[in-house]
Amino acid sequence: MQLLVNALIAGSLAALIAGGLSLVFGILGVYNLALGQTVLVGGFAAWWLRQVAGLPLALAIPGGIVAGALLSWLTFDVFIRPFYRRHIRLPLVTTIALGMILDGLIILLFGERPRAILRETKRVFDAGAFQISLEQMMLIGFTLLILALFGWTLHHTAFGRRLRAVAQHDHAALSVGVDAPRLHRLIVVLSGTLAACGGIFIGIDQNLSPTLAFPLTIKAYAAVIAGGLGNVWGAIACAFLIALLEQLTVGIRWFGRFYVPAGYQATIPLLFIIFILLIKPSGLFQSGRRLG
Amino acid sequence: MSAILTLSRVSLSLNGQHILRDVSFDVAEGEVIGVIGPNGSGKTTLFNVLSGFLKPTSGTVRFRDQDITNLAPARRAQCGIGRVFQNFGIFREMTLEENVLVALEALPREQRRALGNLNDLVRGTLNMVGLLDRAREKAGSLSGGQMRLLEIARTLRSGKSLFLLDEPTAGVSPKMTSQVADLIRELKAEGKTVLIVEHDLPFISRICDRVIVLDVGEIVLRGTPKEVKGERKLQEIYFGADPTD
Repeated sequence: MQLLVNALIAGSLAALIAGGLSLVFGILGVYNLALGQTVLVGGFAAWWLRQVAGLPLALAIPGGIVAGALLSWLTFDVFIRPFYRRHIRLPLVTTIALGMILDGLIILLFGERPRAILRETKRVFDAGAFQISLEQMMLIGFTLLILALFGWTLHHTAFGRRLRAVAQHDHAALSVGVDAPRLHRLIVVLSGTLAACGGIFIGIDQNLSPTLAFPLTIKAYAAVIAGGLGNVWGAIACAFLIALLEQLTVGIRWFGRFYVPAGYQATIPLLFIIFILLIKPSGLFQSGRRLG
Repeated sequence: MSAILTLSRVSLSLNGQHILRDVSFDVAEGEVIGVIGPNGSGKTTLFNVLSGFLKPTSGTVRFRDQDITNLAPARRAQCGIGRVFQNFGIFREMTLEENVLVALEALPREQRRALGNLNDLVRGTLNMVGLLDRAREKAGSLSGGQMRLLEIARTLRSGKSLFLLDEPTAGVSPKMTSQVADLIRELKAEGKTVLIVEHDLPFISRICDRVIVLDVGEIVLRGTPKEVKGERKLQEIYFGADPTD
């Protein structure tokens, strides 16, 4: 039971990041490989505001979110927009460059030591079969709320209709007057904002470390690819599935004899992509740049 | 009649290749003009320039006395230029009513308010093309002809005054082709201006006031369908020069 709860917690975090990433791919068709760093910038900014500047958590959290949003704005206008119309794969290279710059800056500004946004002892609820902290419950609740809000927005608002129109036929959307370039920026900023929320949760629940960026990016892309490129709900489902596999792999005593070392946990998403691509190259769910 | 659209010496080069060369013509309000020419003559490129997807290397495009040469596609749509795509500009995973609604919602606020109740307008638009009973179905379930009708009706009801129809009969059954022709005549009756790229010459002859013939990016002929039809040059473009001449 505890493994399932752990998977739900880890899956919620991954779903936040992968959902936003998949939305960007679904709408723009571009890869943003600096997303893991955006997660960390959101988390470290909140840590700095709380632990260094001494601001209350209620201000540090919005501060971290704003940092993530601003960074993704910069990512779009400097590292994606000037390139993606020339060739759809150019942002792959430019965002790797941005990621490397940010890796250096994060170490320079925040140091290499792990950082926790909360130093206070966490309140843990013991339900017998499992334990969960208040912060972890908030992460799951927040993710479910965001997913419900996203689903409702997509299908019941003018903004959602525009998003789906751009994802399905961007030229036709432009021809009916939908301002697609503005939507593109908005989607990248939204994705960065969700990524920053993920970073803040990491900083609250565990510790932030500059080395987390790459595994986070890989895990998010594993969910996006396995879920069917551009399929947001598929990416979210796979984020939870990968989290469950990770927990089961290192949490189970295999054949009653041995545990898989925790260090191998990071390889699960990669093995998962390879396995899915071998059996179903288009991803577990329907692939394509469409938001039905 | 005053010109609603004016192209002055529009040229476009891509990767060192001349796709359009010195294309100039006026379109009067309410006219239906056919743009014909063999594959690769620059017809769709011309439509891409008019709808803002490509910027000309030189020359100007004016719409209602406004220079729109550098205007983005969405802004052109908001100015009243609507495009119907050869490969169906339909949002297939959205319902029929959402397909119409998204076009109405994209209009500038003032224009949108002037339209009144959008839901009534959506129903009226679908009724116009006999698709009201399928309003909640996904547009991808329609036949090619129905998609075309939906796309033209959507463009019409979202307040566009200049229509760019790129091969409106492509992928459409003969029965639906006559319905598409009727709808274009309806556009004309409502005073709309229409430019049609088409390979179906009898279709062009039936519904167009004038015809422009493009070849290798240049206008080589222009006139009424009857005038152009008799031109030897047209035969040469489509079938090549007769070696016995």
